[in-house]
Amino acid sequence: MNLLGCVRVFWPIRLMKTDDGKYADGSRAERIAASMGGVVDSEGIRTVSSNETKPLVLLVDDSIDVHRLLSARLRHEQIRMTSLTKGSETLEAVKKEPPAVILLDLDMPDMDGFEVLRALKDDALTNNVPVIVLSGLTGSEDKVTAFELGATDYVTKPFDLAELRARLRAALRLDHLLKLLAERADVDGLTGLGNRAHFNKRWAEKVAESKRYSQPLSLAIVDIDFFKRVNDTYGHPAGDEVIQGVARLLQRECRSHDVPCRFGGEEFALIMPHTGPKDAAMVTDRMRQALAQVVWQRHPENPVNLSAGTVGCDASCGEVTPEEWLEQADRNLYAAKRGGRNKVVSTDLAPGTCQLAKAG
Amino acid sequence: MESSRGPGPVGGGGLRSEFAGDPEMIGLVKMFVDEMPQRVEAILESWRRGATGDLRRQAHQLKGACGGYGFPAVGAAAGSLEASIAGLGQRAGIDELRGLREQIDELVGLCQSVLADPADEN
Repeated sequence: MNLLGCVRVFWPIRLMKTDDGKYADGSRAERIAASMGGVVDSEGIRTVSSNETKPLVLLVDDSIDVHRLLSARLRHEQIRMTSLTKGSETLEAVKKEPPAVILLDLDMPDMDGFEVLRALKDDALTNNVPVIVLSGLTGSEDKVTAFELGATDYVTKPFDLAELRARLRAALRLDHLLKLLAERADVDGLTGLGNRAHFNKRWAEKVAESKRYSQPLSLAIVDIDFFKRVNDTYGHPAGDEVIQGVARLLQRECRSHDVPCRFGGEEFALIMPHTGPKDAAMVTDRMRQALAQVVWQRHPENPVNLSAGTVGCDASCGEVTPEEWLEQADRNLYAAKRGGRNKVVSTDLAPGTCQLAKAG
Repeated sequence: MESSRGPGPVGGGGLRSEFAGDPEMIGLVKMFVDEMPQRVEAILESWRRGATGDLRRQAHQLKGACGGYGFPAVGAAAGSLEASIAGLGQRAGIDELRGLREQIDELVGLCQSVLADPADEN
């Protein structure tokens, strides 16, 4: 029997009723809310001011006391805190909104903390979130198991609050630095677009999504025509300006769900989810036309053009691998180059379809 | 594990929270103390049903929480009870059960002596 039922506390965002629509104790939710400085509305949801930019800390513990105590004791920290009382709900919640740090109890009835930790670390979407284990299990075997499963830290209950705060801050710093590192590793320094590594990750994800949900998907590989001439004639700063200008144009012309990347050198890639081959060719050609209109400060007499190869599918692209997509887009790009440049060549991945888009 | 005699309170003065003067904790300590009769009843109910799994969990949760509310002595007693239940064999002997019962008596007594406010002490 759980004396306190299964009250789910979301702090400081909201406080909810139990799964069966009732509070374990008719007045409890109101009292918890009052102790946190708020009032529960008729739906059992309390909203208080929160700053979305503060890092999110997820507390998973079946003891309502731990939720109350940490809510009170960590309220002055620069964090947002959300709470679950069931281990089994953790993975879904973390995927929905990845927290900066998870505070995880081990001894829980439905799914223990070790299982939760294993599931988090087995999933590519959640395995980088730092986890501080909060546990009454004090044996070194439990601590070793937790660390081997990927825990960042281990705090035993009853916890010393000053120590817990310090460890939480350390974990938040670690999360911040890891994110910074990951961002830097994925960003092209010259243009601010995603780099090749970023492209590889996102492209694999988008191909898998398209396959799973039978959604349209397209890819464009874009290359600046005669870029070497710009460098040789006007110098590398002019070449850098052209690359940055094309990057800005890609960002400006693409839709919010498109993913523009610098592929390397003067080559760019544009992932277009939810876009069939015809629309992809149209979007890419619009970029080609827009680039041709740009007047460059360092060489106003010489416009810059691009060639592109696009490939796409309207629904399911069958068993075509990400690499095969890329190879086809590359072939189209070279076809555009061989065909005189300043062109977009497009392929519909539906069998037997290959069309030459309009030349500029 | 049925018994005609329920565990009784330990005599003596009330137990005051270490955080009694902490404005951040006054409300929470009061809530904890107000809810203590329900917790005690839940522990006794688990004992009457012979539900050692529930009893262990209740002791485990008290162990983890009581320190935070400023009642480390209650937490320590709950931790001892949890350890004893974890050490019970498949078929506990009469001495083991008697020992467990004494620990429950001690824990319940401590639980019943907690005070929300120093002014409650009389």
